[in-house]
Amino acid sequence: MSTSISIILNGAPTAAVCEPYEVLRTVLRRLGCFSVKFGSDSGETGAGAVLLDGQLVSSDVVLAVAADGHEVMTLEGFSQMREDLDPIQAAFIAVGAFQSGFSAGAMILAAKALLDRNPSPTEMEIRDALSGVLDRETAYVKVVEAVQRAAAMRRGDAQEPFGPLILPPLTDGVHAVAYDPNPTAKGVSAAVPRLIPSRDVPAMAVVGKPEIKVDALKVARGNPAFVDDIELRGMLFAKVLRSPHAHARILDIDDSAAVNLPGVHAVKHYKNTPRVMYASGGQSWPNPYPYDQVSFDNKVRHVGDRVAAVAAETPEIAAAACRLIKVTYEVLPFILDERLAMEPGAPVIHDESDAVEIHDASRNIVHHIHAQTVTDANLADAFAGADHIFEQHFRVHQVQQVPIEPHIAIAWLDEDERLTIRTSTQVPFHARRMVAPLLGLTVKDIRVIKPRIGGGFGAKQEMLIEDIVGHLALATKRPVRLELSREEEFVSSRTRHPQTITYRTGVKNDGTLTAQEFTIIGNTGPYGTHGFTVQNVTGLRGLSSYNCPAKKFDCKVVYTNIPVPGAYRGYGAPQAEFALEAHMEDIAIALGREVIDFKRQNWVKVGDKLDIVMFLGERGTIEPDDVDPATFPPVMTSGIEECVAQGQRAIGWHRREDPTWVAPPDRPHIRRGIGFAFCMHGTAIPFLDMGGCAIKMNDDGSFNVTAGAADLGTGADTVLAQIAAEVLGVPISDIIMYTGDTDMTPFDVGAYASSTTYISGMATKKAAEVVRQKIKERAARILGVDQPCSIELRDRRAWAPDGTSISLEDIGLNSLHTEDHEQIMGSGSYVSADCPPPFAAQFVELEVDIQTGQVTVIKLVMAVDCGVAINPITASGQIEGGMFQALGYAHTEEFAFDSNGRMINSEIGPYWIYRSDDAPATEVFLVQTMEDSGPFGAKAVAEIPKDGVAPAMRNAILHCTGVAINELPFTPERVYNALRSASIS
Amino acid sequence: MANVVAYHRPSSVDSALQLLTRFGVSSRVLGGGTGLIGGGGHGDPFEAVDLQDTGLGGISVGDSRATLGATVTLEQLSRHADLPYAVRDAARRELPSTLRTLATLGGTICAGESESEFLATLLVHDPVVEIHGVDGRRELPMPQVWAEPHHLAGRVITAISIATDGVTRSDRTARTPADRPIVAAVARRADDGRVRLALSGVAPRPTLVGDPSGVRPVGDFRGTAAYRRDLAITLAARVIGALQ
Repeated sequence: MSTSISIILNGAPTAAVCEPYEVLRTVLRRLGCFSVKFGSDSGETGAGAVLLDGQLVSSDVVLAVAADGHEVMTLEGFSQMREDLDPIQAAFIAVGAFQSGFSAGAMILAAKALLDRNPSPTEMEIRDALSGVLDRETAYVKVVEAVQRAAAMRRGDAQEPFGPLILPPLTDGVHAVAYDPNPTAKGVSAAVPRLIPSRDVPAMAVVGKPEIKVDALKVARGNPAFVDDIELRGMLFAKVLRSPHAHARILDIDDSAAVNLPGVHAVKHYKNTPRVMYASGGQSWPNPYPYDQVSFDNKVRHVGDRVAAVAAETPEIAAAACRLIKVTYEVLPFILDERLAMEPGAPVIHDESDAVEIHDASRNIVHHIHAQTVTDANLADAFAGADHIFEQHFRVHQVQQVPIEPHIAIAWLDEDERLTIRTSTQVPFHARRMVAPLLGLTVKDIRVIKPRIGGGFGAKQEMLIEDIVGHLALATKRPVRLELSREEEFVSSRTRHPQTITYRTGVKNDGTLTAQEFTIIGNTGPYGTHGFTVQNVTGLRGLSSYNCPAKKFDCKVVYTNIPVPGAYRGYGAPQAEFALEAHMEDIAIALGREVIDFKRQNWVKVGDKLDIVMFLGERGTIEPDDVDPATFPPVMTSGIEECVAQGQRAIGWHRREDPTWVAPPDRPHIRRGIGFAFCMHGTAIPFLDMGGCAIKMNDDGSFNVTAGAADLGTGADTVLAQIAAEVLGVPISDIIMYTGDTDMTPFDVGAYASSTTYISGMATKKAAEVVRQKIKERAARILGVDQPCSIELRDRRAWAPDGTSISLEDIGLNSLHTEDHEQIMGSGSYVSADCPPPFAAQFVELEVDIQTGQVTVIKLVMAVDCGVAINPITASGQIEGGMFQALGYAHTEEFAFDSNGRMINSEIGPYWIYRSDDAPATEVFLVQTMEDSGPFGAKAVAEIPKDGVAPAMRNAILHCTGVAINELPFTPERVYNALRSASIS
Repeated sequence: MANVVAYHRPSSVDSALQLLTRFGVSSRVLGGGTGLIGGGGHGDPFEAVDLQDTGLGGISVGDSRATLGATVTLEQLSRHADLPYAVRDAARRELPSTLRTLATLGGTICAGESESEFLATLLVHDPVVEIHGVDGRRELPMPQVWAEPHHLAGRVITAISIATDGVTRSDRTARTPADRPIVAAVARRADDGRVRLALSGVAPRPTLVGDPSGVRPVGDFRGTAAYRRDLAITLAARVIGALQ
């Protein structure tokens, strides 16, 4: 029965009608407070936190009726006057504390609640105050900095502008230097990136500067920008009935009771939906095989797999209808472990006749990928020439991206009866192309809009739910909204591929590698999706980092019945680099070599050829005889020696050799360790990743930049704006960005493969150069200059060599209104032949409780050569956040299943992602190199932070305990068992 | 989503008891909602009886014991300077900042979660639970409330009293510092010299133990039974040792 409530909402008496079961979040959003977000019904994400009588509470767990008579404040309660930002909002903007900003309201309110009662909090008090607001994007370090600055601003203390700390280089950029134990940046906030400039980088006005993010204001205000922040008349709500079985055939579905439930408008399942085979991974055309999915199948292959979908007037009716659908299952045996999937007698997961291009369905082998730089005979010779052969086995596990914003999509037919899908996706153009055949439409019948999205990390590089809302919208002719619950996000979106890995390496006595063989079994779950390409990247990354004359990669990608793996930031590299850096560490120790010195001897350097690159790739494998070694791409830039030097000093590498530091006498059960990992990644997919950009000039000399790129909160829009501003000689505030809309922006493959800055950035640069040329030509005419190329654009003006100038506003007015009328505009697109690798040195300091197995991570240091960081603040934010996700991979996160194949920790708490109050210290170094193939020298930065934490952590545990653990994650019991086994042995 | 079909906010404990004892009506006490609402599920429909206006939010601290109202939140406990530090710190650790402002003492005791270090901390402080029913008032040691849940049927926890003297030490093993402990050990030496030891994560409820080697935990993905038992022995030895 509906109830009327009265609350003081943001200072104003407010009445609302609600149902007794409705939570405060639902009612606040209905009242227009869109800053209050859904992250989970349990309140664990804190995205829905508000102030209730001044106390920070998760509105997800407060009944709306229980708030009757109370005061509620949301982010909308701050002044909405443009110039009147609260100091907290201003501080969050100033330090770049937001990435997607999905939980911005909760964070700002958490800070307000704290500062209202404690004007001068300690760092630990700030971290405690933020402990209920999970942030999957940052490492909280800039958020803490923002609260500290806000406190200072409220006290009236002066604040320095926030920007990078410029440090002198320790090396000549090429050679290693002797280790210097003196720290470089003592007393400087951890939130400040340490920037080591390169003399090769020219001075620039906007690029390389800590510009405020172009989207910061709307985030700080909590303006309605995300998928769910629109209201459509007559919108229906969708729910999906999911499989309770890990593997079963659907013998029948009876939907009559659901269809007849009042308020239900459509029920879709295999009996009333066309069977169109597809692959759901968001990748370039043609999508890699196999095509082994349909919208609704007559078989389910994991707990959480789709069975049916309902559209109804309310979410509650849709859920009730799902419960009324009668499904008759024939339950089948299932398998979770990739090592058993190929065994005789294993259940065959894809026995349908219409799946396309499965390598060997009868043995659950989706792909067999092989690549080698030499023939088998030459490989055998290379092993024979080694003085030592090392072979090791590793197992890496299943984890999830856990974006705080779950997948959500809203579809409707527009006034032209075209289907519009507003969706939280990283790949709007792929999604449009891929969903069309499933819905019986053509690409031109569909518009996909990617508004602001609350994190993706690869989970949204997928056409995951767009077909469901599409089917239901077409069936009902009404707008349809589908939002996944947190449990659905765990069991039915995407995850990282588990793998079983074997390295076999031949080494000379002098440390030279002679041969390396890399064998993996990749677990792609029940569907192929990204299975081929992720495992390809594993091979690529696992055999690229170190020089070796003979390499071989062999991989079987297999089906199992785990929730579906897919793209996850790092994309196969974290698995490879964990095993590789562990393997190389152990070889170094076995040879009696200092670990960094041994790795340095072998790691790739400028000029070295990346041979394996030519044999692996998204388009398939190539045989050794078919490749000319002269075509192997070389490493063109590397700042790894500077990275190592800076990182060693920051972590205090010398303490490794101090026995009283490693085993503190006053804490007999504690061992302290420091570990290192060499990291190398890629930048975009050569000859495949493509981005487009269009720019037009306005009357006032500002510019609209439209690009297909998809900013996930990474700062991509800001970086593209900086690139355009640099070319056009204007401040970033004169650039108006609009991205990720298939009707309104040029094409882009989307946000993945560390490609946006490099590919979309270069497209933006090219488009801006076209516009610049047109401006120069017009300016030359107006100023009477013969040579347009002599005109320079800077400070919002076009300058002639003689010092005369004209403002861009005057040029805009001239072109649009006065003479030789022309819309000054330009476009550019870019695909790269190169894939310049960023390099990094990852260090971890930790403590191991040798009596319990508990590992406590004390500090993460990462020094990254990402070329020129277009924006050092957003770049360092990427590194901090990436390291944090990598820490979860290494330390805590793990899918656990019961005996029926059901995930048993599909909630935030049991799964556990790091919170603000258990975060280790971080320190980030940006080591500049000038990568000529990238826009203004940029390489990638987004994924490399995912690569080094697990191996560095493993190597730190090895350093201080002598125990090598080759399976992730390093949970207390796993470490305890390893310590005990070592002790017994 | 919790299946709440009606909501009541009585202004007294007696009114709450009348609502909770209606024949044929499924009613449940609503504290902060972190378990009842946040726990979700599609269980049977019930009517929520919200205790926020029943006047159970007081804290009084005497010479050797403190009385804590049932609707006191964990946040309030964590900030009350007159309470033992161990209790305040455990209250802070129990939930993050967005939930401990809601979670009530009474609700936390009713939930009795096995891995609650906060409840283990209360256990060593000689907790006595005050329960009101239409048949009157009773006081029971907290372990007895868990052992004999019929005491709560149709009744309301109104307060809990704890000892405030002595010295308390705790230790825990978890995946990270803020994670819920797999096993936690808490020991208190009272001013009279008696020592209490409580463990979480080794029994269906946090439990007072004499000999930690005698625990019989049930394992899960975070810790097998054998591992939890080993932790119990190790952590118990540490906290007992720390009292010396």
